[in-house]
Amino acid sequence: MKTVIKSVLLACALVTLSAIAQQRQPIKLGAMIPITGGGATVGESAQIAVELAVRNINAAGGIAGRPVQLVIADYQTDATAGVSEAKRLVHQEKVDIMVGPTYSQVTLAVLPILNEAKIATVNVSGSEKLTPEVGPYAFSMLANAEAQSKLMVDYAIRNMKIQSAAILTDVGAQAKTAVEAMKAELAARKIRLAGTQEYQYRQTDMTPQLLTLRRANPDVILLFTSNGEDTGNMVKSLNELGWNIKVVGSFGATFSGPAIKIAGKDAYKNLVAVNYRGFSYCAKDPASRGFEEWIGQVKAHKPAAFDRQPLSYLSLWYDAVYVMKAAVEGSGGKTDGPTIAAWLERNSGSFKGVNSGLTASKQTHFLVGQGALTIVYPDRTRPGGLLERVDCN
Amino acid sequence: MDELIIILVRGIGLGAVYALVAISFNVVHNSSGILNFAQGNMLVLGGLFGFFTLTQEPGVASWLVLLPAAALLYAAVLAGQGWITLLPLRSSVEQHSWLITTLAVSVIIGAVILIAQGPFALNVKSPFPSFALLGTRTPAPYAGAVLLALAWCAALHWFHTRTTTGLAMSAIAQDLEAARAVGIRVRRLQIYAFGISGAIVGSAGFVAAPVMSISADSGIIYVVNGFIAAVIGGLGSNAGALVGGALVGVASMWAAFEFGGQFQNAVSLAILIGVLMLRPQGLFGRTAARRV
Repeated sequence: MKTVIKSVLLACALVTLSAIAQQRQPIKLGAMIPITGGGATVGESAQIAVELAVRNINAAGGIAGRPVQLVIADYQTDATAGVSEAKRLVHQEKVDIMVGPTYSQVTLAVLPILNEAKIATVNVSGSEKLTPEVGPYAFSMLANAEAQSKLMVDYAIRNMKIQSAAILTDVGAQAKTAVEAMKAELAARKIRLAGTQEYQYRQTDMTPQLLTLRRANPDVILLFTSNGEDTGNMVKSLNELGWNIKVVGSFGATFSGPAIKIAGKDAYKNLVAVNYRGFSYCAKDPASRGFEEWIGQVKAHKPAAFDRQPLSYLSLWYDAVYVMKAAVEGSGGKTDGPTIAAWLERNSGSFKGVNSGLTASKQTHFLVGQGALTIVYPDRTRPGGLLERVDCN
Repeated sequence: MDELIIILVRGIGLGAVYALVAISFNVVHNSSGILNFAQGNMLVLGGLFGFFTLTQEPGVASWLVLLPAAALLYAAVLAGQGWITLLPLRSSVEQHSWLITTLAVSVIIGAVILIAQGPFALNVKSPFPSFALLGTRTPAPYAGAVLLALAWCAALHWFHTRTTTGLAMSAIAQDLEAARAVGIRVRRLQIYAFGISGAIVGSAGFVAAPVMSISADSGIIYVVNGFIAAVIGGLGSNAGALVGGALVGVASMWAAFEFGGQFQNAVSLAILIGVLMLRPQGLFGRTAARRV
């Protein structure tokens, strides 16, 4: 009898120890970030954000009591390298949850791997092709291309009274979706499409593209871009051509630091762009202490790189980690894709981060809807990267 | 018509940068059979030299002093790279370790730029004002690149036909074994060739810096287009490099204008395939007999 009791006690002890060990086992968070390649400029922001978020989460006790172990994968802004890195994270590193990638062409390429492994991810990609069917466990912090496009067209029609518009985009997958969305919106509102053009990432001379568009004499250029460098190169080429045309840009055009370095302090003379409403201000708005504290943390984390960071974009990656934390904790510590996805589809609205008011559902996995967007002057900044809204008056 | 002239001028300017990379390919290839795939990132390093040495409002005098300094600095750097590349080779035709060595140097340069300077492209101001063309402003570095390409072409022609060292290099280009047999110090001349190619890309990067993308990952654009220009023109022919560079520059800009920016890079590859199918030795290249 004594032997039986001892065996039962031993078994109980083993089960308890095993549960404790499981509890303390780190949650492996894979982060797919373009540290090199054409997207390296935004990759730097992503890396800073994710490292800072993981540091803060671990300092506060981790996710569901488990420390977070960060594994970063650099996919070189390339879809092929992205697939290799996704396989490494899933099969070799055996990550539990993920954030990233950014750039839709990469995200679309890696989703089949994540779907098969049932790994949930919060990415920063905006193509309409990222549906719940394509990525059942994938959510996006980036405002989708359609929402941005509709707002850009609407602003141009309402405020600039345009009769025609030209579209200029980079060669990314998100931009291709945006072109279709802008064309549809222009057609629906009976505005003449003067032409469309594309440019390669980091193309320093865009005069051929602009000359094509200028031939059709549009009232406005709708610029869908993913970073400030390309915005700066576009404005510089416009200036060299002496073409004084209004430009309405996408979220990427708000990354004003690199653009002003390239095109000069008047780079945004004729340019307004889409931004997250949470990162905009009117002169009469009071400053937010919580927001200022977060900015202080970013600055303290990487002081040398702080000045060149688009904080609105950086906040998306920071929040992506915290969204994942909320989902895991809300699901009782479970990390599998179906459970995380089901929780986010029901509860994303309850998330309170740097950005809030998220609106994912079974129908869309884009966490940020059109209501969270506004149009801003990208060169009118407050400390912390807040940009002045155009509709303040 | 005005638009085509603007594209032609800018295309020739951009093409001159590719031509300079192609000429530097030729110099090394003629003396060693090696294609130095680090040339693209060496060009970017030339631009980086401009970023560090030129002020926000650079003067013409300081620019004129710094131009030969850039050439000399990168001549020394490339000579060092050449020494390392040639070290395991008695003769470059015997093995192809240079392929890995030159690619490795390129990767290392890119990584060092990324670590030291971060991911953002660096901007360099030109001391020369842009010039007017049909109601537009064209950056002066485009014209500078054209002049530099012509100057290097003329200088190399003089060097290879009027100096003993240049004639010895030409002898290596014709028959490496025979040159060695008559007492020419082949290895030393090959390192000189690397040095000359460094002077070419170093000065090219410095001159074209204001119209280039100076970043860790930009080298690939310039090395690929420079290589295409060299092959189209005929590997080994500097006149061919000039024509090939201009062709690639103008065609890529014209394709973007006429068909869309998505065709900008594809068109130079299409020209390359066309030339290789119709005239494999390139426009100005010469066929050579080969013992089999």
